[in-house]
Amino acid sequence: MSIEVRDLRFSYGKVPALAGVTFRLGEGAVGLLGPNGAGKSTLLRILLGFLNPQGGEGTVLGYDIRREQPAIRRSVGYMPEDDCFVAGMDAVTFTSYFGELSGMPSQEAMKRAHEVLFYVGLEESRYRLLDTYSAGMKQRLKMAQALVHDPKLLFLDEPTSNLDPQGRTDMLELIRDIASHKDIQVLISSHILADIETLCSSVLILNRGAVAAQGRIDDLRATNLSLYELRVKGGEEAFRGELEAVGCRVDETEDRLIKVYMPADMSRMEIFRAASRAGAQVRYFIKSRTSLEDLFAELVGVD
Amino acid sequence: MATVRQKGYYHWDGRLAESRFRWWPITRTGIKLAFRKKGFRFLFAASFLPAVGFLTAIYVSERLEDFKFMMRGSDRLIKIDPGFFNTYLTNSSVLFLVIMVIVFGCAGLIADDLKHNSLQIYFARPLRKKDYLLGKTAVVAFFVLVLTFIPGLLLFLFKLVFAGSFRFFLDYPWLVPEIALDSIVLAVFFACYTLLLSASSKNSRYVMILIFTVYLFSYILYVILHSIFRTPYTALVSVLADIQQVSAFIFGQKPPHAVPVFWSFLVLAAVCGLAAFVLKKKVRGVEVIR
Repeated sequence: MSIEVRDLRFSYGKVPALAGVTFRLGEGAVGLLGPNGAGKSTLLRILLGFLNPQGGEGTVLGYDIRREQPAIRRSVGYMPEDDCFVAGMDAVTFTSYFGELSGMPSQEAMKRAHEVLFYVGLEESRYRLLDTYSAGMKQRLKMAQALVHDPKLLFLDEPTSNLDPQGRTDMLELIRDIASHKDIQVLISSHILADIETLCSSVLILNRGAVAAQGRIDDLRATNLSLYELRVKGGEEAFRGELEAVGCRVDETEDRLIKVYMPADMSRMEIFRAASRAGAQVRYFIKSRTSLEDLFAELVGVD
Repeated sequence: MATVRQKGYYHWDGRLAESRFRWWPITRTGIKLAFRKKGFRFLFAASFLPAVGFLTAIYVSERLEDFKFMMRGSDRLIKIDPGFFNTYLTNSSVLFLVIMVIVFGCAGLIADDLKHNSLQIYFARPLRKKDYLLGKTAVVAFFVLVLTFIPGLLLFLFKLVFAGSFRFFLDYPWLVPEIALDSIVLAVFFACYTLLLSASSKNSRYVMILIFTVYLFSYILYVILHSIFRTPYTALVSVLADIQQVSAFIFGQKPPHAVPVFWSFLVLAAVCGLAAFVLKKKVRGVEVIR
């Protein structure tokens, strides 16, 4: 297991940020999802050792999150969400500097800085001052500094934010290559569900400081909910009310397609019974393949 | 023969070291970055001019017979003793140049890291807060020591060379430790003073102005208060006066202001204490993660 935490608790004053979080993350790329205030950033802060948990315990790559923070930081690469660089430096100096701070010998750090800058696509501009870098280049630079000391685990916080479509595609390709071919485990925190769906086979979804779901995306799709799409004629409002009364969540798209999220243990016949009670004709009915967005919406209760 | 590799990501086969001097790359890089700034090298070189003047004075003191026509009969104008070295280290022009070097070379040490959110990537490394602060402190200390201790020591050595004997050393055996102690006090104080102000803003230009004006206006305030209240205790508000008081004590000289040295030492220590408090609050990896 790369990360394992049990009953992790943390509060900012009286506001609980993590209320007894327990999970185990395995190999490959894992998506960390959750609405704002769900506790994602607090979890990352605790895993990196920026914050000490007020309760619970955990390990990252086998190192205790309370007592072995330096060892964790030595083995983990962190790509923060915000733009961050050191003024007056070029990319080579910057990257090798952080390699050295990770414990690499000076010359090795410099050699390695060139290698990772080539890898992330900054080879042409590696001697340019960072102050002149575009948003996309800064994003690649953050990736380079996270990779320079050859981490075993990579924390990526919103890796595709502020990127144009081409930059986003390139960054996703880079992360996919790292996660699938370079033997580096990746934990990606992102609001862009499509990115997570593209890159990750597993997700950890947090909501209000607790784990809302965890596991392989395919398994979660299959077990957590049944999504049906239908069109009805007449009695739409009453039909909607009947479905909600039996525990379904109902959304309607702009083209009047009704999406019904059913609890896993409920029979689809309930939909027809509800339609019958509401006097609505079901004109179209299909079991939909749930996207990560659907799963997220169902578990977290937001669109 | 070395393997020819394609460009791409390869695992590093080295081992990350657990050094006790984790702060050293921060110091080395901080000093390098200061020298990359426009005009800084010229300013730094110009900061040694007072030392050249004092060196000339030592030379003249050893050749009084040759320069008697210039001295107009006063042999005591240039007396080389601990007071001479105290004068060098607390000379307002020397301290002004130290401040200028700090302003242009060190103002952004923490302010730039706050502005560019880089604290979080520093602390995502196996780096403790004290390593970070020690690294930044050492940058300021380097410049202060190079402008105080090194010239002070060289002036002492040149005095021996010009005299051609160890008489001066035997007369003042504690002078070198006094020069070292005073330089260390200056280095520690200016490091705390600089980092305190650097951590107080994200704008390094604002910090530059702040470092200069606090130093200058504390002296102006002292002059104004002294003219109003006519008490020597007003000297305590001046950074320069407090430094001169403490230095005079270290060199065993009469303090320039009729205030117990303890109070001046307390003022300087209070600045360092305030710096420690502010730095503890401001320098955090966690604050910049939203």
